[in-house]
Amino acid sequence: MIGRRAAAGLTAAALAATTLAAPAVRAQGSPARTLRFAPHAPLANLDPIWGTQYVVRNAAMLVWDTLYGIDSRLEPKPQMAEAHEISDDRLAWTIRLRSGLRFHDGEPVRGADVVASLERWMVRDPMGQAIRALREELSALDDRTVRLRLSAPYPRLLQALGAIGAPCAFIMPERIARTDPFTQIDEVIGSGPMRFRKDEWDPGARATFERFERYEPRDEPADWIAGGKRIAFDRIEWIARPDPAATVAALQSGELDWWEQVAPDHAPVLRRNRQIGLDIADPLGNIGSLRFNHLHPPFNDVRARRAIAMVVDQADYMRAVVGDDDVLWRRAPSFFTPETPLYSDAGGEILSGPRDHDVARRLLAESGYDGQPITLLVAEDVAPLKAMGQVTHRLLRELGCVVDYVATDWGTVARRRAVRAPPAEGGWNIFHTWHAGVDCASPAGYTALRTNGDGAWFGWPNDPGIERLREAWFAAATPAEERAAVAELNRASMAFMTWVPTGLFMAYQAWRRSVSGIVKAPLPLFWGVAKA
Amino acid sequence: MLAYIARRILSTIPVMLVVAFVVFSMLILSPGDPAAVIAGDQATPEDVERIRAALGLDRPFFVQFAEFLWRLVNFDLGTSIFTNLPVTHMIAQRIEPTVALMVLTILFSVTIAVPMGVIAAWKAGSWIDRAVMVFAVLGFSVPVFVIGYLLAYIFALELDWLPVQGYTPIARGFWPFLENLILPTIALGSVYIALIARITRATMLEVLAQDYIRTAKAKGLGTRPILFLHALKNAAVPISTVVGIGIALLIGGAVVTESVFAIPGLGRLTVDAILRRDYPVIQGVVLLFSFVYVLVNLMIDLLYTVFDPRIRY
Repeated sequence: MIGRRAAAGLTAAALAATTLAAPAVRAQGSPARTLRFAPHAPLANLDPIWGTQYVVRNAAMLVWDTLYGIDSRLEPKPQMAEAHEISDDRLAWTIRLRSGLRFHDGEPVRGADVVASLERWMVRDPMGQAIRALREELSALDDRTVRLRLSAPYPRLLQALGAIGAPCAFIMPERIARTDPFTQIDEVIGSGPMRFRKDEWDPGARATFERFERYEPRDEPADWIAGGKRIAFDRIEWIARPDPAATVAALQSGELDWWEQVAPDHAPVLRRNRQIGLDIADPLGNIGSLRFNHLHPPFNDVRARRAIAMVVDQADYMRAVVGDDDVLWRRAPSFFTPETPLYSDAGGEILSGPRDHDVARRLLAESGYDGQPITLLVAEDVAPLKAMGQVTHRLLRELGCVVDYVATDWGTVARRRAVRAPPAEGGWNIFHTWHAGVDCASPAGYTALRTNGDGAWFGWPNDPGIERLREAWFAAATPAEERAAVAELNRASMAFMTWVPTGLFMAYQAWRRSVSGIVKAPLPLFWGVAKA
Repeated sequence: MLAYIARRILSTIPVMLVVAFVVFSMLILSPGDPAAVIAGDQATPEDVERIRAALGLDRPFFVQFAEFLWRLVNFDLGTSIFTNLPVTHMIAQRIEPTVALMVLTILFSVTIAVPMGVIAAWKAGSWIDRAVMVFAVLGFSVPVFVIGYLLAYIFALELDWLPVQGYTPIARGFWPFLENLILPTIALGSVYIALIARITRATMLEVLAQDYIRTAKAKGLGTRPILFLHALKNAAVPISTVVGIGIALLIGGAVVTESVFAIPGLGRLTVDAILRRDYPVIQGVVLLFSFVYVLVNLMIDLLYTVFDPRIRY
């Protein structure tokens, strides 16, 4: 039986095949000052601290600005900040704001706004929580100066303030930032290059952003979320497209300018169309994850976890996720993102080389596994998770495991993975997810790698030794020490097998050739983009 | 008659209460968690719990249900968990495209399907009859989204006559409005046409075999008056029943059609809300659809008296 997705793919392919010679561009008004963009998910809210979905972060990046921003070398650069000073004991940071910063309601950005915004952000962000734990004082010295005094040095402060992973340290007006971090804000007012048109917002369908004329970009060229954020459009319209095949058609017909995330099976169709550009969206990709529950047998025993890792073939997982396009995946025998400065595959041998099912079966038996059902949660509505879940199902059966394959949707997985009870009482043993490569470039905000037991991410791994290695990275003084610390952290995490990395996968983005300036980055960046 | 209408309208109140209870219970008791969706993948279980508490989702079932009912009797459908906007506002934003699509589809389908069914019955056994039946089987068998893709390919991409997708409010001009809805209407109407045409044919075949039709023919009446004045009027009761029942079919089809043609209507609002577990929005839309369905059935019941004067309430 042909599924809906397959039929859509075939139809889209048929559409493209016959339109290659003379691509039909519908003569709809396409003003060069308006960009029509299809995000990877509908935008249902716009509070980047309350809701940390990537689509919210991406939209928020247009509306709000940050004190610092990381560039394509993953280095933090001043953004709203003009300069900063660090005290000799490295405990006090004094940050001075650029002049001329204004919110969309015309009010100047003040130190008090920064303080309130950071207070709210620190509750929700993992790095922010670490800073909050060390904070002795966070105050506005005057309208343009903020001081943060810590009880111990935190050398990664600028990385935290300029991080790209959600939630970002966006600066909001004080009255808005005083909203409880677990309650949604009512007003969408930032100081970023575009203002949000709430009056035109059709949640989940269309969101419109209008150029903020009083925004003063930095002089430096834009580089990811650092540098001058110069926008060439009066309006940017985010139009949610629920159907990928129909989105292909909209891009072909010229009703759409840029599509953030192309499903792998639609890429060949778009690649053959001369009017459309296609390239990798995020060069850092995503690391697939097979996440264990460390609280219950059999995966409360490291031998069982390592047995699974021994038979995981990342090629199987990645081909299930992205298909036959080998450009879209690579092996990653590491918890860290390949081709980033701190990358290390120390200890990753268990994930490379020949797969040994016999040794894995023996190890599993030694762990005490006696045939109890392994509850595997699979979100069937999210294609990569469904694909990874099916591979794991097969792999577990090959090892002789009894599998309770729970086919459900992501909303249910998100709820059930928080249940700490045994699998038979509504808990779980394994679920799949992925982590954005940019979040896995360093241990700073890497929640999934933590092993602090009850305080850890879902699965609740507990290994104080790994936590100490993480702290050693925070204390590292030189790049060489940082790399050495990350190598040790990776080696220990592989030995403990906190979770199994199933490979690095990427996605394409597509745009009409009339649009230029689109860059590869962990999120769609609109500065520097223009339309003929 | 007026007393009957009043009784029927009053009877919708317990129906809607049952619907409200069932919808509320199913949502609250079903797995899934809006707080987990809001918090995002990297959130800790503690973050999720705090969001759930802030949303009031950690309160007992009957407390939440009582609050829901109280709001309902005050004509307040609540506030969306995700957008922080009133559900009535969100429904108002999305109702025009869905109503426009459904009204156009009903008009288009009835206009096409009834004559098709009548002609097929009149020419029973001929190639016309078989062609109509083949069309009806295809209409039933081919999924709406496949028809949608094919129509978009032919008329939007290949011929460039119509837009691929989108919606233009009628306030911005009738042609731009109609232009966006032609393809979705045909796609959604295909299954509806098939349903009505088959029922019309079957009912007409039965009516055309009646003695009074033979008498009409013997009196020398022309084919058209016999078919459309005598036979069709007597076949109208089952046809109108199917038209009414088909509204439910249309609501289901509208969800798919709105996705394929990127129409920001209630169907998409419902699907998005279900995926996110936005309980107030799901409850609001389902209650609205249920109310419309009850209302349509009432109207169909009243229409019976027009088609068949023997029916009295």
